[in-house]
Amino acid sequence: MDKLTEIRWHGRGGQGAVTSAELTALAAIKEGKFAQAFPSFGPERRGAPVLAFNRISESEHIRVRSAVTQPDIVVVLDPGLLYIVDVTSGLKDGGALIINSSKKLVDIKLEFGGPWQLAVVNATTIALELLKVPIVNTTMLGALLKVSDAIKLDFLLEPIEERFGKLAQRNIEACKRAYEETSVAEPSPTSKKVERAYAKESWPSWQELAPGFVVTEPGNARSYRTGDWRAQCPEWNHDRCIKCGICSLFCPEDCIRPNERGYPEADLYYCKGCGICARECWTQAITMGEEVKE
Amino acid sequence: MKRVGFESSFAIAEAVKMANIDVTSAYPITPQTHIVERIAQLIADGELDANYIPVESEHSAMSGCLGASAVGARTFTATAGQGLELMHEVLYVASSMRLPIVMSVCNRALSSPLSIWGDHSDVMAVRDTGWIQIFAENAQQAFDLTLCAFRIAEDPAVLLPTMVHIDGFHLSHVIESVLLPEVDEVNKFLPKFHPLYALNPSKPLTMGDFATPDLYTEAKKGQDEALRNSMKVILQAWREFGGLFERDYFPVETYRTEDADVLLLTMGSFSEVAMGAIDRLREAGEKVGLVKLRLWRPFPFDEFCQAVAQAKLLIVLDRAISFGGPGPVCSEAKAALYHLEKKPQIIGFIGGLGGRDISVEGFQDMIHRGMDKAEQGKFEEFEIFGVRG
Repeated sequence: MDKLTEIRWHGRGGQGAVTSAELTALAAIKEGKFAQAFPSFGPERRGAPVLAFNRISESEHIRVRSAVTQPDIVVVLDPGLLYIVDVTSGLKDGGALIINSSKKLVDIKLEFGGPWQLAVVNATTIALELLKVPIVNTTMLGALLKVSDAIKLDFLLEPIEERFGKLAQRNIEACKRAYEETSVAEPSPTSKKVERAYAKESWPSWQELAPGFVVTEPGNARSYRTGDWRAQCPEWNHDRCIKCGICSLFCPEDCIRPNERGYPEADLYYCKGCGICARECWTQAITMGEEVKE
Repeated sequence: MKRVGFESSFAIAEAVKMANIDVTSAYPITPQTHIVERIAQLIADGELDANYIPVESEHSAMSGCLGASAVGARTFTATAGQGLELMHEVLYVASSMRLPIVMSVCNRALSSPLSIWGDHSDVMAVRDTGWIQIFAENAQQAFDLTLCAFRIAEDPAVLLPTMVHIDGFHLSHVIESVLLPEVDEVNKFLPKFHPLYALNPSKPLTMGDFATPDLYTEAKKGQDEALRNSMKVILQAWREFGGLFERDYFPVETYRTEDADVLLLTMGSFSEVAMGAIDRLREAGEKVGLVKLRLWRPFPFDEFCQAVAQAKLLIVLDRAISFGGPGPVCSEAKAALYHLEKKPQIIGFIGGLGGRDISVEGFQDMIHRGMDKAEQGKFEEFEIFGVRG
């Protein structure tokens, strides 16, 4: 069995983690290697945390199809995920952690440094400048190229062209610029992973399920913090707001309520940052600002 | 208790009336039509206070039953052959949601060529749907077992839909004598249905939700346990029924099997015909007996092994083909016996397809043919009994 490189991508539905993984596999295959790309299948929606996976082998067909739990490389497309998902779970010593963040490498290292290479790039800014959308799939590929030789830029160009057509050139630019702007810190064998408390998933035994899989607590969606999905946050300009309530009517999450002064306000526990309120606002009192979770 | 002449279909309708169902959602199909026609009549005449939901297909019939049962209504329907096939996906939903619907299935062959006549192709196609499945052999049993089906299905420890199988035409359209109990006797045996969960706007809950890979396995494990555990309630219900009405039912029933070397295994109305063959062979001094499988699901492994383990040869009749594989009942019998050290050899026959009759003489022939084959060591998967060519 020859060397197998396993990559785990952390993103949000719509950010392009799955596309990143697909392009990575296509580039490796074009180079003559064997590769896999697959998402974590599920009812993901735009904004919900998602996973995608790669396996790359120099010369052998890859048989294993299970999720990557001990990755060589972890790529995080959304910095907000760092605090809700244990992105370094299973990351091998000597591996690499690649993060999209506007923070400086030294600051990130304090929190997420470990016995792995740490790479940071402000991919969102690059994507917004070059692509005009905060979709960082191709941008993060540039960062991947910087820390790993699992794939090469030459073989990535054609898959990007096939995938993006007219937009390919700008995506390639984003990729190259990310390559240049990625800063890398070498692993320090002595450093330890900073333990953080992540929400642990626990599942019931079959005896604990109600007969017929009946859900006996209606409205339990109330406890889901869909606010975690937000990449952009609505902001109200009270000088323009006429308190008409249209934003509240259109909010698919029904999370906009008048505050004590009668101005509408989004409950950020649920607001997914979809931007519908901003789009529907007659007086353009709402703007979607960058989400600051870090 | 009074003795009346009844077509089996009407006997079932009578049981449904005495069970005082709340809802039936049904679509007519030969050879089942007489059951739902009769129920419609009983409702129209005011003899049964229930809602009859006429639907445009069996898929809707079973879907209607889901809704009715989910709000806590005592629910019944009936179908056959192609109709059962059209219900197929909804059958799984009924058992997975633990809705105690009772259904009569007038076993019918599947197209094509089109056949409205009886065999067990429809039963075998729904074998794995998670329903309790019981076979009746005559009109009396059709009546009794339909009443018992409500009692079993609705037991809080069971809550599973239940099919009572009667052979199309060979049983459904036959007029026989039936002993009818009094309503108050029936009421003693069959209490009111108290659902564990019921849809109710003032006390909302969710049924039929979706499960991620983290939960689906546990949901299925729970469902399988429920079906296996229903055995206790089935035994208890039949025991009580026997006590009240003096007719006893068991998951596996035997006829003249004491010190028999050769056993024949059958399901459904052909079993009574086969009893005639056993009588004749016994009179001729042959040590043969009959084993009748009354309960098809949950499969009564222990009772079955106990009934057949001591024989030298077990001849199995299947009334369905599993194309390219063994007969379905035969395959089950082999699986049940595999781990036993002492077990009979098995010869499989497929017969009675699409309404093809098997007479008493036919069963005598089948038993002898099976014995010959065993002697010659011809243990192929099965032989189609009486096929020309």
